Amino acid sequence: MRLLAGLLAAALAAASCGDGDGSAGSFEGLTVFAAASLTEVFRQLAPSATFNFAGSDELATQIREGAPADVYAAASPRYPDELFAEGLIDEPRVFATNRLVLIVPADNPAGIDSLDDLAADEVKLVVGAEGVPVGDYARAALEAMDRADVLENVVSNEEDVKGVVGKVATGAADAGFVYATDASAAGDDVRAIEVPQDARTVVRYPIAVAVEAENEPQARAFVELVLGEEGQAALAEAGFGRP
Amino acid sequence: MRRAFDIALAAAAGLALAFLLLPLLALFVRISPDELLAALASDAALDALWVSLKTGLVAHVFVLGVGTPAAYFLATKRFRGRGALITLVELPLVLPPAVAGIALLALFSRRGLLGAELDALGVQLPLTQAAVVIAVAFVAAPFYVRQAVASFETVDPTLIDASRTLGASPARTFWRVALPLSATGLGAGSALAWARGTGEFGATIMFAGSLQGVTQTLPLAIYAQLDIDPDVAVAIGALLVLVSLTVLLSLKLLPSWTRFTSASLIRSAPSGSS
Repeated sequence: MRLLAGLLAAALAAASCGDGDGSAGSFEGLTVFAAASLTEVFRQLAPSATFNFAGSDELATQIREGAPADVYAAASPRYPDELFAEGLIDEPRVFATNRLVLIVPADNPAGIDSLDDLAADEVKLVVGAEGVPVGDYARAALEAMDRADVLENVVSNEEDVKGVVGKVATGAADAGFVYATDASAAGDDVRAIEVPQDARTVVRYPIAVAVEAENEPQARAFVELVLGEEGQAALAEAGFGRP
Repeated sequence: MRRAFDIALAAAAGLALAFLLLPLLALFVRISPDELLAALASDAALDALWVSLKTGLVAHVFVLGVGTPAAYFLATKRFRGRGALITLVELPLVLPPAVAGIALLALFSRRGLLGAELDALGVQLPLTQAAVVIAVAFVAAPFYVRQAVASFETVDPTLIDASRTLGASPARTFWRVALPLSATGLGAGSALAWARGTGEFGATIMFAGSLQGVTQTLPLAIYAQLDIDPDVAVAIGALLVLVSLTVLLSLKLLPSWTRFTSASLIRSAPSGSS
């Protein structure tokens, strides 16, 4: 598995070649592991960095296996807290919040206007898999509303939030739970329906530098960028909430 | 000088072997046989095994049932555009699986080319077990059809003519002459298609999604279990290595077996006496 990590490092290094420098300065050579929901805004903040976007849980597994992450940004405190306790990353700091929404395809073929409609027969619902933050938030939200029964209509458990967006945007599924920012990033292909908010479903994004970061100064600079004015402005523009 | 060259060749061969085999070996080293069996007995692994076997079998029946006559047609009929048609049939062989996934969505999803028609019939394919069957058949069929066309093409035409002259119908000639003579190639194509279908991942996860017990096949279960219970992921991986090895070994053994059986079949075939 160390070998696997080494190969991953080589692949990531190869993938990072050719990126242009962003306005935020050069992050050439920096490797950031980030939750899939951060894809658009992180790329915009540091175009020259190398990103590995995936489900927060999958990224945590990769870091445990020795993958060469300089920075880890997750969509839930659960995995950063675990990795911090294991001595793999510095103390995580929350840099943004998000909220859960329900999305349907633009033409809304199943006629879904509220959470209650999700329980109808033959509705194809897509959520994140168990352990994937967006899936866990969705389950918590449904339980908080006493509507766990709609989970019977789940036809696919996706490994990250972009998987859910893709299934709904292509019309393969009738509805899916994603973050508000992913719903706006998907543009006209999907329509978002608000979900009653609950304390358990406030989405917090922590970020931390990896203890074994190979590019520590750049990693610290990236974290400061995200927590600083420019990062916060970009996050706000993408629809994220303040920490 | 020659000696140095030989040593260099041997070193390259050793490196290639180590590169190809060490990762597979690492799977078996990572967990003990007891843990491996326990992991294979987990619900996630058993559900995935069942989904893989069921969808694989249905897809395979479809691939053989339609692919065999289709290949016979392509191999024996001469018409304009035949070469182009065979090339097109082979296209999914080299197509990235993710392209297969998005292409199947483009055809079958509700917004797809056939979406409105299927919707009117009340048929929704994406994210169902039927979608797994379609994805597996789509990526596996070319492996079989390609091999089957090649096998039918190598059947000696004089044997076909002899069968027809002796009064056997085209259908009887197909069953009793062409099919037995091509058995080796058809068997090899069938095994390759089965192996490719069992390994199918990209098209399935895009078109059929991943739901344990319904659409989550063995490769999808490896991916899903990696961050839930890595032991289960490793165990399924080890199982698939053994399955692949079995397919490969049977391919190696197949020719000697079928040469014997097809020869004995042909002896009685054209006479139509049996």
